[in-house]
Amino acid sequence: MWALVLTLGSLLGATAAFVWLATRLGEQKPAGDSQNAITELANKESEHIFSDEFREELRNRGRLHFEKIISENAMFLQQDLRMTATQVNQFMKDQITKTLKEEFAKYEQSIADAKQLATEALNKTQVAIEQQHQILSEQLQAQVAEEKQRLVARFEENMSDIVNHYVLSAIGNQIDLSDQLEFIIGSLEANKQAIVEDIKNGA
Amino acid sequence: MVPDEQARQQELTLPLTVITKTDISRLARELESLDEFLLQASATGPKSHMSLPKTSHSLEDLSAGAGLKLTDKSDRQNLKEKLEQLRDTAPVMHFSFAAEPQPQFLQKILEWLRKEIHPNVLLQVGLMPDIAAGCVVRTTNRYFDFSLRHNLKDKRSVLFEGIRGKD
Repeated sequence: MWALVLTLGSLLGATAAFVWLATRLGEQKPAGDSQNAITELANKESEHIFSDEFREELRNRGRLHFEKIISENAMFLQQDLRMTATQVNQFMKDQITKTLKEEFAKYEQSIADAKQLATEALNKTQVAIEQQHQILSEQLQAQVAEEKQRLVARFEENMSDIVNHYVLSAIGNQIDLSDQLEFIIGSLEANKQAIVEDIKNGA
Repeated sequence: MVPDEQARQQELTLPLTVITKTDISRLARELESLDEFLLQASATGPKSHMSLPKTSHSLEDLSAGAGLKLTDKSDRQNLKEKLEQLRDTAPVMHFSFAAEPQPQFLQKILEWLRKEIHPNVLLQVGLMPDIAAGCVVRTTNRYFDFSLRHNLKDKRSVLFEGIRGKD
């Protein structure tokens, strides 16, 4: 649009300068008489040559030429405009594509960075979990071993009571004192000296 | 009474039916009852035909063992004094069993004790159901555990070997 305006303006300016020069030339007077005569003659001849019909013809030709030039320039301008629009469209498309690609690249890079960070965080978390798991497992094993040891020690410590309780529950009602007489007498016999001494001292 | 007989009578041998201090007290009460009966009989005169009350085997064995006659007042007094002395001075052993023992069982133990430990030892019987078998003996200052529980504790290493051998 601006190119069309500038072209039209330059054409109008050239026309105005041509008209102004012709007018100025027509207004200038010869310096001398001969010169004036020649000038007058030339003017007559020029007026004869450049008669009104000729001038009108020139104007018509100029107008036609001017219209042709304007038409051609308008056509060129239109082509230029189309080309410019096409280039602008291509440029815009390229720019948009480039920008989008850059943004997508940045976005992909951001996603990759975030993914990398997440992966590293997950790896660190997994390592920490494995370490914690290892620690917990060791602690649990130690506690289980300690508890096992404690239970075994407690079982061993109270084993006689456990067995005694079992015997009492299992065959407690079937144990006859008469069957134990030999064992009791034997036990008394084994401790006879201590019993005798204690009874003597106690008496 | 000849001196040998006097010395023999001084040694009072408790029969095996006399097991506890309660038995001695019971004999003393029986002796008192007999004494009172004979006193009443003497008060009513010789015409009365009152038969002697039946005495327990323990009292008869005791008097026979001591060579004393229950119909004789001085012998009864002597026996009574000896019983009181025994009740106060006889050594007592505490026996605890898992179940109530039969008298025959106690008499067998008492027979051994009076033969090997002391001729006039008395028993005090208690119950300890948790010992399962055996007995717990307590003298004046000592404690003897002859129970199955204590025996198992002493043989704990054998139990360990048995358990570990089956692992």
